[in-house]
Amino acid sequence: MAEPVLQIPEGWDGRVPDGWEWRTLWDAVETGDHIYADSRVKESIAAEIHPKVILDDGLFPGFNLQGDRFTEQIIFIPEMLITARAMKAGLKLIRPLLAAMAVKPLGTFVMGTVLGDMHDIGQSIVSIMLENAGFNVINLGTDVHPDKFIEAARREQADLIGFSALLSTTVYYQKVTIEEFVKAGLRDKVKILIGGAPTTQEWADDCGADGWGKDAVVAVRLARELVGQPREAWA
Amino acid sequence: MSDGVTVTFVDPTGKAADKKRSAAIGSTFLEVAQAAGLELPATCGGRGQCRSCRIKVLDGDLPPPTIMDEVQLGHDEVHERFRLSCQTKVIADCRVMVAPPKTEVGHQFLMGTGGVEAAHRVGLDSGVEKRFIQAKTPDDEHHQTSDLEEVALALGLDAEVPVPLELLRELPGALRAQGGGLTVTSFNGEIIDIESGDTSGRKYGMAFDIGTTSIVGSLMDLETGAELASVGGINPQTVYGGDLMSRIAYAQFAPKKLQTLRAKVLNAVNGYAKQACAEAGVELRHVHKVVIVGNTCMHHIFLGIDPTYVGLAPYAPVVRGAVVAPGSDMLLKTLPRARVCLLPIVAGFVGADTMAAVLATRIYDSAETRCLVDIGTNGEVVMGSRDGLMACSAPAGPALEGAQIRHGMRGAIGAIEKVEIGEDVVCETIGGAPPIGICGSGLIDAVAKMLVAGVLDASGRLRTKAKASLPPALGGRLIESEGKESFVLAWAAEAGKDEDITLTQTDIRQLQLAKGAICSGVVTLQKVMGIADDEIKELMLCGGFGNYINIESAVRIRLLPELPLDKITYYGNAAALGAQMALLSETERARAEELARGMDHVSLASQPDFQDVFVEALKFQDQNARRDSVGDSKDVPVAAEG
Repeated sequence: MAEPVLQIPEGWDGRVPDGWEWRTLWDAVETGDHIYADSRVKESIAAEIHPKVILDDGLFPGFNLQGDRFTEQIIFIPEMLITARAMKAGLKLIRPLLAAMAVKPLGTFVMGTVLGDMHDIGQSIVSIMLENAGFNVINLGTDVHPDKFIEAARREQADLIGFSALLSTTVYYQKVTIEEFVKAGLRDKVKILIGGAPTTQEWADDCGADGWGKDAVVAVRLARELVGQPREAWA
Repeated sequence: MSDGVTVTFVDPTGKAADKKRSAAIGSTFLEVAQAAGLELPATCGGRGQCRSCRIKVLDGDLPPPTIMDEVQLGHDEVHERFRLSCQTKVIADCRVMVAPPKTEVGHQFLMGTGGVEAAHRVGLDSGVEKRFIQAKTPDDEHHQTSDLEEVALALGLDAEVPVPLELLRELPGALRAQGGGLTVTSFNGEIIDIESGDTSGRKYGMAFDIGTTSIVGSLMDLETGAELASVGGINPQTVYGGDLMSRIAYAQFAPKKLQTLRAKVLNAVNGYAKQACAEAGVELRHVHKVVIVGNTCMHHIFLGIDPTYVGLAPYAPVVRGAVVAPGSDMLLKTLPRARVCLLPIVAGFVGADTMAAVLATRIYDSAETRCLVDIGTNGEVVMGSRDGLMACSAPAGPALEGAQIRHGMRGAIGAIEKVEIGEDVVCETIGGAPPIGICGSGLIDAVAKMLVAGVLDASGRLRTKAKASLPPALGGRLIESEGKESFVLAWAAEAGKDEDITLTQTDIRQLQLAKGAICSGVVTLQKVMGIADDEIKELMLCGGFGNYINIESAVRIRLLPELPLDKITYYGNAAALGAQMALLSETERARAEELARGMDHVSLASQPDFQDVFVEALKFQDQNARRDSVGDSKDVPVAAEG
């Protein structure tokens, strides 16, 4: 397996003041040093670097590197979580700036673990990664009744919905919840992703989902793709 | 039968001399082999349900294949003169070779615990009473009496007593067969059998532990407490899913499939009952009491109760108290009159098996805090002392039993069970055979030794980059296999199959998830109960596979908390032992009921900091850090907020 490498954004050194160094921030996100990530992003803001540049050139390279490693199982849940935490420390500072500049989120993603299932870790990793990728994430938590998903989708005029299920006994409710969206007449207004250890592409097809998030990284990639696809508009 | 023939068993390795054995025509090869003292496992109990007792008939008249031969072995093997020895009858002189398939040989089930008396002297108060009475037959037409009244009279009662309808149907015959000599059997005062003649000395019972993966049972003399036979094998439901959840998912909202699962387990238990009685020369009819333990799902399925909602939060069982009914009510055909007792349940994932382990380890009687860890497909943790007990379940999944591991296998011949790593790797296998896979204990040992050798780091990553710093032979074992970083435990040349036996990075991640679940169960109970590591007097490790665990390795990979090794004791298959105790003693069975009612259940997932605990528990021991700071070096929580 090829070890994933750091993807250095094109033209990155031209977008910052002379002598500016991003590598330390890449390392901090990679190794999960959230204290350094916080202070370096503050310095970047003080240096009047565009928030979008800080995000793309400063925070994402280290984060994406770890994401790829996670997919390859080179790193595991603990390392992914500390990277996500460092990423979040930086993002927290940048998000208000982006909002003030009227940079819209990529879309609204309603996320939760299905009815009967208390597993939290998988869906919270996906939520953090979706947020980091620029989505507005509404996390409904675990053991979420189909009605709760529908209600949140309506209220938030969601673009995407994600159902996580970690038990072979609860994947059943992924299908049930999708059926409820059909009954409520909302199925064509949203794109639906499913994921979780017992799920497969076959199951995703079988229960009528738009995509299967094999892991968190794939889920984010699919979300980015699906959000651009045509859907029935919310009234 | 006098017309004997000679069966010659040829040693498969060619080293030992042939064993000749005269046999009666019509006996099975399995019986002949066993009589000849050959080790020929019948994992399924000689019911044609597995391939473990396969033989090859080298020459001599070949008995025709049975339907089970066709099903289990397939047409080709049958054609190549392979047969199931348990199904095939001897018809003429022949030479045969024992030829069990590599992956099925000698699964070492933990049975024959045999130590009830030695380890835990229990009172012999099984609740079963047998009385021989001399009843009169009604002889006065004028003053009418009934057969039953005569029985009651002989028992010293003045009126008819309630007896099952079925016994009434047999009573006229039984009463008159031996001049009114009858044996009346009761369980806790209730008449459960009446038979002619004096059988009062024949009072037996059976205890079963129905696990997700395996079933073990023992036949015991209720009078003496002696174990007369032990039986066991794979739970035949396994084909419908290895772990509990997939088993439930199979039967979820599907009554017919539930019946399929139920029939499987009933067949197995019926088979084992017959087998045990045959081995011990006991009549099935004289097995009067049966105690069954199992996790909640196995318990429900055995009773034909829908387990659907056990699989969905909040994982509520249908019944928690003890269930007692005649075998016939439970469709236990071989033991229709025996009283079958299922021990109580604590929660959806803390079942009757855990209660049995609590009985066996006597943790409820401990003055100091002890911790019981029962490792199986689903793990359970019980912590506390005589002042109170708390339990939680830790869904480890089947990785610790070698499932979902690329070269994983059960603990059978050829399974790597021990690993030593110095300049190079040395594997020990069960039976000393060339390695064909790795079992759960081998996996734990291998990973622990890989950590020490620096092949693996504490995060669980194979140190492929550090190849150069390792001894060359070791470094050379870090390879890429089918796109996955892997560590070769045994090269194809030394293995018992045509490929390298490897541990892949994914295997190690699976192990981390499994052991992380167990370890976080212990840590969470400690947190909830406010118990520091040094307050745990003893960690009692139980489970059908824990037998082979190297405790030091288990601590090194942090399957168990980092306690001094002398505080960790292995208790064997405590669930089976507890079932035997409840069989021999109604006091023990009543105790289980009382303990189950008083035990607090902790749901891991609903603990606010469970995520932090679990994530921390995924890590292995850091071999660079000093390990004398036992337990107090918990890192900062790493879970993201929110």
